[in-house]
Amino acid sequence: MIDLSTLSSLDELFKQFNSGTHLNRLKDTELWVELENNQEAYQSIYTALGYTLVLDGRGFAYFKTDQGTSNTGKLTRRLALLLMLLFEFQADRGINLFQFQQWRIDDELITNIWQNYKTILEAEELNDVSAIKDTFDSAIRIGFIENDSGVYALLPAVHRYLDLFEELAQPEIPDETESKEEVL
Amino acid sequence: MSLAQYGFQKLVLLNSAGYSRAELPLDDSVSIVAPNNTGKTSLINALQFLLILDQRNMDFGSHSLEISRRFYFPNNCAYILLEVLLPTGSVVIGCVGKGLSHDYEYFAYSGSLDVGDYRLDDGSLVSQPKLISHLIGRDKLANIYQQTDLRALLYGNRQKQQSGAPDLTIFPLEYISHAATYQRILTRTLRLDRLDTREVKKYLLEIFKNDLNDRGVDFKSEWDKSFADVNRDKAQYDAVFRNKVLIETMELSQQERKALRGKIIHWKPLIEKGLNEWEAYHKKELGELTLVHQQLENDGLVLAERQKEIYKDQATTQHSLKEFQKQEKKCEDLSIQFQFVTDLAQLESQRQQQQDERDELVRLIKNVEARQSPSVIKKDIKKIERELIDLNQQLENLGDNLYLRLQELLPSDSFEVVKRLLARPVLSLSASSLDNELAFKDFVAQIEKSICNNQLILPGLSIDVSALEPNLVIKTANELEEDIKDCQGQQKELHKLLKTAEALSEETQKQKRLEQKIAQLNKDITDFKSLLELRENTQIRQSDIVKLRESLEVLGIEEKKLDESKGLIAESLKQNEEKRGAIEAQHRRINQSRNQRQDHQPQFSYLEQLPCLPYMEVGSLKMTELADQIESYNGDCQKLKQLDDRLKNKLDTLHHDDLSKFQYEESAEKELESLFAFTAQLALEKEAIERKSRSAVVQVAAILRGLRDSLETLKMRMNEFNNKINHRQLSDLKIFRIEPREEESLVGAIKTLISTSEQVDSGNSFDLFDHNTVLDDKALNKAKDILIREGEARGSIKVEHLFRLVFKIAKENQKPAEFENIDSAASNGTVLMAKLITGLAMLNQMQNPKKAVKTLCYLDEAASLDQKNQRNLIKTASEFGFTLIFASPEPQITARYCVPIGTKNGVNYINQFNWQILEPIDE
Ligand SMILES: Nc1ncnc2c1ncn2[C@@H]1O[C@H](COP(=O)(O)OP(=O)(O)O)[C@@H](O)[C@H]1O
Ligand SMILES: [Mg+2]
Repeated sequence: MIDLSTLSSLDELFKQFNSGTHLNRLKDTELWVELENNQEAYQSIYTALGYTLVLDGRGFAYFKTDQGTSNTGKLTRRLALLLMLLFEFQADRGINLFQFQQWRIDDELITNIWQNYKTILEAEELNDVSAIKDTFDSAIRIGFIENDSGVYALLPAVHRYLDLFEELAQPEIPDETESKEEVL
Repeated sequence: MSLAQYGFQKLVLLNSAGYSRAELPLDDSVSIVAPNNTGKTSLINALQFLLILDQRNMDFGSHSLEISRRFYFPNNCAYILLEVLLPTGSVVIGCVGKGLSHDYEYFAYSGSLDVGDYRLDDGSLVSQPKLISHLIGRDKLANIYQQTDLRALLYGNRQKQQSGAPDLTIFPLEYISHAATYQRILTRTLRLDRLDTREVKKYLLEIFKNDLNDRGVDFKSEWDKSFADVNRDKAQYDAVFRNKVLIETMELSQQERKALRGKIIHWKPLIEKGLNEWEAYHKKELGELTLVHQQLENDGLVLAERQKEIYKDQATTQHSLKEFQKQEKKCEDLSIQFQFVTDLAQLESQRQQQQDERDELVRLIKNVEARQSPSVIKKDIKKIERELIDLNQQLENLGDNLYLRLQELLPSDSFEVVKRLLARPVLSLSASSLDNELAFKDFVAQIEKSICNNQLILPGLSIDVSALEPNLVIKTANELEEDIKDCQGQQKELHKLLKTAEALSEETQKQKRLEQKIAQLNKDITDFKSLLELRENTQIRQSDIVKLRESLEVLGIEEKKLDESKGLIAESLKQNEEKRGAIEAQHRRINQSRNQRQDHQPQFSYLEQLPCLPYMEVGSLKMTELADQIESYNGDCQKLKQLDDRLKNKLDTLHHDDLSKFQYEESAEKELESLFAFTAQLALEKEAIERKSRSAVVQVAAILRGLRDSLETLKMRMNEFNNKINHRQLSDLKIFRIEPREEESLVGAIKTLISTSEQVDSGNSFDLFDHNTVLDDKALNKAKDILIREGEARGSIKVEHLFRLVFKIAKENQKPAEFENIDSAASNGTVLMAKLITGLAMLNQMQNPKKAVKTLCYLDEAASLDQKNQRNLIKTASEFGFTLIFASPEPQITARYCVPIGTKNGVNYINQFNWQILEPIDE
C-alpha cells in the first residue's frame, strides 16, 4: 500500500506532467528530489492512472505520451524542428552537442539559425526571428528552455531531442536490430 | 587456488521447510533439479537464518517472516545446519526450532557436520532442549549463541569471541563496518532478479564509503558561515554606497556644525557682555540725541521769524517799484502822444476855434427847426403819386371799363350794390375782364337775393349796403386831365421843401462832431498838464527805482540763504530722528532677541566638549551692531539645533537602511566621524571585502574539495570495479561497465567554486579579480545558487548526489549504449548475468582478499542462461569466491553436482547418495 499522504507533491507534479511540462532537476530541484526519493510510489500511482512517468537520470522527468494534444503537438513539432536545426548548426561548427546546457542561445545564434534554414522554418510557419523566440518562450513553460536575462539556455529535458537527433544521425547498422532480437 | 578450498561445504535441513532431510553439497557448483514449486528456493532460503541472521534483512519473497518461521521451524526438532571449512578447521553453524512458538536458537561447534549427531538411537531427531548436551556427548563442544553475537562473529568481529570457542569468521570482511551492506547484498544475491540500479548505486556507495568522505555538506550553512562576515561587510558597504550622496551631505553638515559650535563658543561671552551693557548705552545715546534735537528746533524757529520779515519787506518794496514804473510808462506814452505839441497855449487856441464854429452852427439850425420834417413831406409826395396813377388809369379805360359795362348789364339797383362792393381799381379795369357775362349776371342776381332792406346777408356777414360809398364816380376826360395837372404841381412843391429839410439834419451832425472835438481837446489839455508835471520829476523817480531794485536783490539773497539753513536744520532733524528711530529699533530688536536666546538650552551647555572648529574670523563686539550680532548669534544657535536635528534624522535614516556598522560607537559624533572616514575609503573597503570574500571562497571550496575528491576516488574505485567485472566475458557482452556519470551542473558548480578558490589561492590573479570581482562574479553566483538549491532540497549535498550510475553495454560489433535501468538493457539472461556478476563483484569487493572463504550464490531459473553463459558464470563466481547453485526443473550439466529433490513418505528428501557428480568429459 502506498501512503498517499507522504507524497506531498502528487497534485503539483501531476498538473505539470499532464500539461506536457518536463521537470528539470536543475530548475525544480525540490520537486525533483521529492520525486527521486519516492520514485516508485509516484510511478505506480501514475501508472494506475494510466500515465507513464519517466524519470531520466540525466535530470528530467515527464509523462510519456503517444500523441500530445494538438496544441502541444504543434509546439512540440516546432520545438523539435528548431532543436534539430540547432543541433545540426552547432555540430557543423564542431561544437560538442552533449554540452548543450552550456550554450548561450542569443539573438545572434537565433538569427544565424533563421538565415541558415529559412525555407525549412517557413514551411513550419516560423516566418521570422520573433516567431522562433515565441516558440522558445512557449518551450520555457514546458520545461525545455530557460531564459537567463535575455539569453536562452537549454535544460536537461532537451536530452530527449538530442537522443532523437543522435539516433537519426547514426548510420543504420542492419544487423543491429537482428542481434537485438536475438538477445530478446 | 589453495585458499579456494576454504568455504561452505554442506547444507543440511532436518525436519524443516517441508524436507524431512536435505543434504546439499556447497563445495562446488550445484544444479538443484526439481519441478517448480517443489522446494528449491526454500532450500536455499534456509541459509538466510544462518547467514543473514538479522530478521529485518531476511527476504522470503511473498512469504512473510512469521509464516516462514512456521515453515522452517515447525517444532523443536527442526534443524538448519551448515558446515564451513575455515583456515582454523571445520565448523558447524546451526539453527534449531524451539517449539510451538516457532522461535529458534543458534549454536555452533568445531568439527564436521554429521547428520548422525542429531539423531537419537531410535532414529528420531534430538529435540532442542537436549541438543547441546547430546552434542557434547558426541564430542561436539557446541555453544549457544545470541543472534547478534553470532552475526558479529560470522563477519569477523572478535569482540564477541568466547574463550575456547571456535573462530566462526566465514565472511572475512576488510572492514567490519561493511557487515550490514554485505548482508543486504547477500540477501539480494539470493534473489538477484530484484537488484536494480538504485540499489547498485547504494551498495557501491556503502562499499566505497571508507574511501569516500561521506559526510554530507550543508552547503548553505557552510556558505553562510564563511560569508557571514563578508555579507555583513558587504551589506554595510552596499548601504554606504547606496547612501553615498546622503553621507556626503551629512559630512558637509557636520563640518558646518563644527564650525558653528566654534563660532557660538566664541560669541557667547561677548553677547553676554553686550547685553549687560546695553541698557546704559541705550540711555546715554538717547539723551544726547534729544539735546541735539531741541537745539535744532530752536534754530529753526529763529530762521522762520526772520523769513517772515523778509517777505513783508519784499512786498512793500515791490509795490513802490511798480508805482514808479507805472509813472515812467505814462510819461513815455504821453511824450509820444504830444510829440508835435509845443506848449499848452497851442492846444487852448485850437479849442477856442472849435467852440466858435460850433456856436455859429447852433444858431442856423434853430432857424430851420421851425419848419416841417422831411418824413412828413415824403409822405405827401407818395400820396400825390398814387393819385396820379389812378387818374391815368381812369383816363385810359374811359371808353370800355368794367364800371360802364356793369352799368349797362345790370339793373340799376344791382349796379348800385356792385358799385359799392367792388373797389375803384376793379371798376376801372378793362371791360374785357368780364369773360362770361351771363354767369356774372346770375351771380349778381344771387347776391341781390341776399339783400334785404339794404342789408346784404352773406354767410356769417351782414353788410349795410346803404352805408357804403360808391367807389367810383365816372369823370370826364377833361375833368380827369385837369385833376392830373393839379397833382403834378403839388408834387413839384413838395420835392423842394424836402431838399431843405434834409440839409438841416446834416448841419446837426456837424454840430455833434464839433462838440466831440472840443471834449477831446479838453482832455488833451489835462493830459498835457500832467505830462509836464511828470517830466519835472523824472530824475528823482528813476533813482528811486534803482534803489528799490537793489534792496529787492539783497532781500532775495538773504531769503535764499535762510532757505538753505532751514533745509539743513530739517535734514539734521531728520537725521536725528532717524538715529533715534534706529536706536529704538535696535533696542526693540535686542529685547526681542534677548528673549529669543536659545543658548540656555541644555545642548548648549556642553558645547565645549563636542568636536568643533576654532573660530578664525575677527569677531569683536560692537554696541552699535549689537542687535545684528545677537540676532545672527541666535540664528547660529537655531541653525546648530537644526543641524543637530537634521544629522540625527539622517543618521536614523541610515540606521533604518541597515547601516549599523558604526551604531555602537560611544557617541553619535564618533559614529559620524567613523562613517565619514569609512565612506572616504570606500574603494579600500571594497578591496578589503574582496579579500575577505576571496578567503571565504577558499574556505567554502575547501569543504567542497572533499566532495570533489570523494567523487574522483569513487570514479577511480568504480573503474577498478569495472575492471574486476570485465575480467571475464559476460554473456555475449563485449563491454559491461557500471559507470558513474557526473551530475554536470552540480559538479560544474563545485568545480567553478574550487577553481575560483584556486585562482584566489595562487595570488597571481588578483588583477583579474579587480576587474571581475568575486562578489559580482556571475558564474560564481550561479554555482552558489545551484549548490544552495540542491542542498536545501536534499538537506545536504553528498557525493552520491554528484553522480548517477549508468550501465554501459556493448555487444560485439556494436557501439556501446548506456542504460539507466539494467533491466531494459538486454535480454533476460544477460540481465541476470549482469546482475549476478555485479552483485558478486560487490560482495567480493568487501571481502578480505587474503582470507577468502568461498561462499555461495544462488541462481534461480537457471535455464534462462545458456550453457556457455553458465560456464562463464560459474568460473567468474568462483573467481569472486562463490560457489554457484542453479535451480531449475531440468538438470544443468554445467554444474559439478546435480542434486534432484526426491520424496520419501510424501515429504522432500535429499540424501548425499542422491548427489550426482558431473565430470567434464574432456577433463
Ligand atoms: N518461506 C516460506 N514460508 C512458507 N512456505 C514456503 C516458503 N518458501 C516456500 N514455501 C512453500 O514451499 C513450497 C515450495 O516452494 P519453492 O521452494 O519456492 O519451490 P521451487 O523453488 O522449487 O519452485 C511452496 O508450496 C511454497 O509455498
Ligand atoms: Mg523457486
